[in-house]
Parts: sequence; structure tokens; C-alpha cells
Amino acid sequence: MTKYFTFLSLLIVVLFLGQPTVLAADADTESESPIDIMGTVADHDYFTFFGTKLYLPRLFLWQDDNGSTQFSTFGSTKKALASGEFEQVDYVMTPVNGSMLIDFSLTSHLLYFWFGLGALALFTMYAGSRYKKGIGTSTAPKGVLQNLFEIFYEFIRDEVAKPNIEGDKYKKYVPYLFTMFMSIAFMNSFGLLPWAATATADITVTAVLALFTFFVTQFSGTKDHWQHVFWFPGVPLGVKFLMIPVELIGLLTKPFALAIRLFANMMSGKIMIIAILGLIFIFNDMYGSVAAYSVSILSVAMTSILYVLKLFVALLQAYIFTLLSAVFIGMAAEEHEHDHEHDDHIHAEPSV
Amino acid sequence: MGLLAAGIGAGIVAVGAGIGIGMIGKAATESIARQPEAAGDIRGAMILTAAFIEGVALFGAIICIILALG
Repeated sequence: MTKYFTFLSLLIVVLFLGQPTVLAADADTESESPIDIMGTVADHDYFTFFGTKLYLPRLFLWQDDNGSTQFSTFGSTKKALASGEFEQVDYVMTPVNGSMLIDFSLTSHLLYFWFGLGALALFTMYAGSRYKKGIGTSTAPKGVLQNLFEIFYEFIRDEVAKPNIEGDKYKKYVPYLFTMFMSIAFMNSFGLLPWAATATADITVTAVLALFTFFVTQFSGTKDHWQHVFWFPGVPLGVKFLMIPVELIGLLTKPFALAIRLFANMMSGKIMIIAILGLIFIFNDMYGSVAAYSVSILSVAMTSILYVLKLFVALLQAYIFTLLSAVFIGMAAEEHEHDHEHDDHIHAEPSV
Repeated sequence: MGLLAAGIGAGIVAVGAGIGIGMIGKAATESIARQPEAAGDIRGAMILTAAFIEGVALFGAIICIILALG
């Protein structure tokens, strides 16, 4: 099992660092519309901290025309452009002489992903140190944070893992599910801060999270799981061959749906708030300032309500992601009884 | 044309998902009223099923976004 996890973590690191960095336009470049909707949800090469922009370093692994591989680092995008070795085409950096292999640049979404993981690590390490001291094991848990930890942990264990993964197997997956839940919840909650970025509103982030679940599901698959994929029981021979591609597609749609669901939910929340606040600017352009003032009353009230909804959605989506991960793992780890024929094998298997 | 298709598509997606989730909500509230002690289990099943419907609806929504942007 440890072998798998080393492989997994290496894979994830490579996937994360290797994401094609498509960055949105800098806010300085003037756009036609009074409010730039996509610019606020897209990835950036800077990190906003209380109104100041901290430009992030750019790291490129590239191949020059002679065929030798080179690694260049720059303090920021501007410095990379000023060096003359790189040019920017549609917000993607390309070397002037050669081709880009992997763009390792740090971006705001990647940073907020790390912040989410860091918050999770601090949270669990704090709780762990308290349990080591004996608080919570020999006495009742003390303090807000430890009680919060217990609430979340027991929720994941009793409500998510236990009902969906059969037998004693669920114990193995509780840490994974808890990590998934808390890191997504932290990342979603960071997105509520007005100056922060939502890491989960990026399809690359959610895709990697879903890949985690995909690999854990496949590695915990029993013989029955693979039999269902390659030799579906209880159907005629011709249908067995027909079922192979269907089942293979079914394996892939599950993580795909997980990724899309989280991504679309987090992104739509952001876009909705920007769109409703944007009404003020649109009315100001079209009907003058009086209309804009009157719309702002409605807009601000609706935005406040939406923020409460977003806080709820942030936790709900983390829960749904974890719940579906548990359902998929439970389905793969399930062992069927073999003493009866599979004729009456009605298996309510959600495909999405 | 792409914008028109995206708009109409998003509308149809919303109608479908709305009907689906509405039916789940109806069934869940009826079951909870009939059997209040099973409210926790029913709520869990409701959220799970709603999430599946939402997944299908979001596939449609993503295609609409691609149409609108592309």
C-alpha cells in the first residue's frame, strides 16, 4: 500500500506542477466591459494580499533550438519578458528560441491549494498534539478547535465512511476521506475572502483531486470490481463484450463528474456574485447614477444573502465530494457472495 | 449562433435539473412526513441523488460555457 501512495503522491506533484499555466489578463490592461468577470475567477501570476499585488516567480523547463533542456527562473512575468528569452502569446509563456516543456510557475490557485493543505496540516497537527498529551483520550476534548476536529472527524467516520464502505474496510479510508473533506472545505472557504482566490474554481485543481479518488478506487478494487468491468456476470456472452467499453467509460465518468461538479459549483458562485454586483456598473453606464444607486441597494442585499449561501455550498460541496468518493470506493471494495448465480443481480450502480 | 445555442441549452438544462431535484425534494419531504424517525437517512439519500442530477446538469452547463466562449 505504501508503494502505491508514494507513486500517487509523486504523480500528483508532477500533475500539479505541470499544469498548463493559462493566466488571465492583468487588471492594468483595459477591457471593454466595466467589470471583468472572467478575470476575477481565472488564475493569475500574482497573489493579492490586502490590496497589494505580490508577483509570483516563474519557473520554466524548456528546450532550446539546439535540443538541450534548460531550466530558467525569473522573479516575475515582467522580468521574464524583459530578459527577452520569453514571449507571451495569449497569456501563455513561450520561449523565443525553442519550445516549452513544462511551465512550473507558481500561480495564485496553486498557492491557495497549498494554503488549504497547510491549514489542514496545522489543524490536524494541533489536534494530534493534544491527543498525545492525553486531552481527549483520557479526558473530554477541550477547546474550540479540538471539539471542531472531533465533530468533523466523527462526521466523516460515522456518516460518510461507515454506511458506504462495507464491513471493517471503512477504517482504512477514513484518513483519506477526512483529508479530502477538510482540504476541500478549507480551499472553498478561502474563496470566501474577497481578495483571495478559490483554488477549487480551477478545473486543474478539481481534476487532480478527482484523480486521487480515481486511483484510490481502482487500487482498492476487489476481484468482483474488475469482473464487473471486464466480464459482466449474469448476461449473455455477446452482451459481455458489449459491456466492456460501457463499464470502462463508467470508470472514467465518475471522477470526471466529481471534478466538473466541484469546479462548476465553486465557479458559478463566484460568477453569480460578480454578475449581481456588476449590475450596478451596467446600470450606471446605461441609465445614469440614480439608477445605479437604487440598484445597488438590491445588489448589495442579494450579495450578502449569496455569501451565506456560498458558505453553505462550500461545506456542502466538500461533503458531496467526500460522500461520492466514499460511495465509489465502497462500490469497488465490495465483495459479492458467490454461492448464488448472478441472474437476479440487480445492482443499483449510479453511473455519474 | 453559438451564444443562442448556449442560452437555449442552459435554459433546457435548468428545466431538466429543476424537475429532477424538485421531484426528489417532494419525495423526500413526503417520506420524512410519513416517517420522521428516518429523516437522517432520507436526507443523506436525497443529497446523494440530487448530487447525481446536478452532475448531469453541470455537464450540460459546461458544454454551454464552451459554446458561449468558443
